[in-house]
Amino acid sequence: MAGTAEKRLVAFDHVSKMFSTGTLALSDIHFTIQEGEFVSFLGPSGCGKSTALRMVAGLAEPTTGLVTVNGKTPKQLVRESNDIAFVFQDANLLPWRTVLDNVVLPMELRGGSRKEHKETALHALEMVGLKDHMKAHPRQLSGGMKMRVSIARALAAKPKLLLMDEPFAALDEITRQSLQMELLDIWQKEKMTVLFVTHNVYEAVFLSSKIVVMSARPGRVSSINDVDLPYPRELGMRTTPKFSEYVDLASGHLEHGADRRGLG
Amino acid sequence: MSISSAETAGKAIVPIGGQAKKKQGWNRFKQYYLGPIIAFLLFMTLWEIVPTMFGLKHFIFPKPSDVYKAAIDDWSILSAAIQITVVESLIGFAVSAVVGILLSVLLASSKIMERSIYPYAIILQTIPVVAVAPIVVIWFGAGYKSIVVISFLIGFFPVISNTLMGLNSVDKNMDELFTLYNASKWKKMLKLRIPAAMPYIMAGLKISCTLSIVGAIVGEYVAGIGGGKGGLGYAITVAAIQVKTPFLFACGIAAAILGIGFYLIVGTFAKWALGSWHESAMKVER
Repeated sequence: MAGTAEKRLVAFDHVSKMFSTGTLALSDIHFTIQEGEFVSFLGPSGCGKSTALRMVAGLAEPTTGLVTVNGKTPKQLVRESNDIAFVFQDANLLPWRTVLDNVVLPMELRGGSRKEHKETALHALEMVGLKDHMKAHPRQLSGGMKMRVSIARALAAKPKLLLMDEPFAALDEITRQSLQMELLDIWQKEKMTVLFVTHNVYEAVFLSSKIVVMSARPGRVSSINDVDLPYPRELGMRTTPKFSEYVDLASGHLEHGADRRGLG
Repeated sequence: MSISSAETAGKAIVPIGGQAKKKQGWNRFKQYYLGPIIAFLLFMTLWEIVPTMFGLKHFIFPKPSDVYKAAIDDWSILSAAIQITVVESLIGFAVSAVVGILLSVLLASSKIMERSIYPYAIILQTIPVVAVAPIVVIWFGAGYKSIVVISFLIGFFPVISNTLMGLNSVDKNMDELFTLYNASKWKKMLKLRIPAAMPYIMAGLKISCTLSIVGAIVGEYVAGIGGGKGGLGYAITVAAIQVKTPFLFACGIAAAILGIGFYLIVGTFAKWALGSWHESAMKVER
């Protein structure tokens, strides 16, 4: 509005969430995310990080407060466009569809030309290196390949905002590393905004331009840290002192949150 | 599991060659088929010997040879009865499948509908069909119409209960994925819930197809009519009254073979319809 170069994309405005069971999942979350950022929500299980992410997708509603994306409610945005894409921890592919048809799905549901959809889908599959497997069925793929298809499906719809809920948690370390590199690559090429939920400190530091550290019971933001490591990031950075510094910082805030919980 | 074992077996064969393959085939035959065949032959021999040993009359306890002779002698009656039963149970099965699946889709598309109507489908199921059969005959008259209705009443429930279970078994994340892409309720039904329910629907159809034969035969007991229009059930009642026990056995065996054949056909169709994905899907369900 003020014509700044950085545009606000996601805003949490004093958001709280109480589950029907009476537990306070999120307490007074208040921060904004700029366009083009790679933001990780880092926290122990039960800190409401997934709930916060689901709110951005319109899959959960805040009890009080407001979540907006691009100035609109997520539900409104989802109705109008494929601007928001979600990658689940489980690849979540339809077993009866081929890889290609799985990637086509989001566009198919919006309607339009099948031929165009196919081209876009093929392009997305090329980005994740699975073009040769377009005719395979999900059961024929490994866990890492399934996750790649899931990411391709999210990318095919050309989202402005990519939401990822612990997408690599179920993968082995080697597959996870290569997927992290690919994700960063795609993020930089496509110039989108990524919100990434994880409980892995190293993963958060390695990927993010900003880390939102959360603590549990009730879920609240304990600190927001910018990560000033240059992009493109390389695996070698993990052993640099600066990387360790950020890991220490984030871990410190995690522990601090845990201490406070212990006292409370 | 069968696929993976077949694969490893296949790998083992290739380098060894044809003779080993033959040996493998014989081993397989020995392991899986030889036992049942010997058991069958033993059973038939015992069945042939025992009535002769105890001097049982053929109308009390017929030997296999008596049954075979009765089937050949009255083949025209038997084959006509089989044909009629096949047609009746096919219609009963088709109606069960179509009505069962459509009604399930309708019920599953609205929670309120499902909660309001499904309990009555269960109640309908708990009423023994034999008990309501006379009413069916009063409404539809003796003959094939009543028989088809009874066959439908018996065959319909497994379809609706399985289909409904399948339609409601959709993974929560999948459902949310469709919500995120703004899929309407009907698109969700068409592109997610029905395909996801396919393994359940096929399981329901497999149960229903054998039940529809049971239904047809029960229907023929109650509503069967003679004059060349009676099916196996009618033939069985007539044979019982006339104490043509060997023919009665032949009818019973024919009904069993019919059931097995019907099951195999529907099973093959189910395998084809589920295509390449069903195996993995079934594994997910476990």
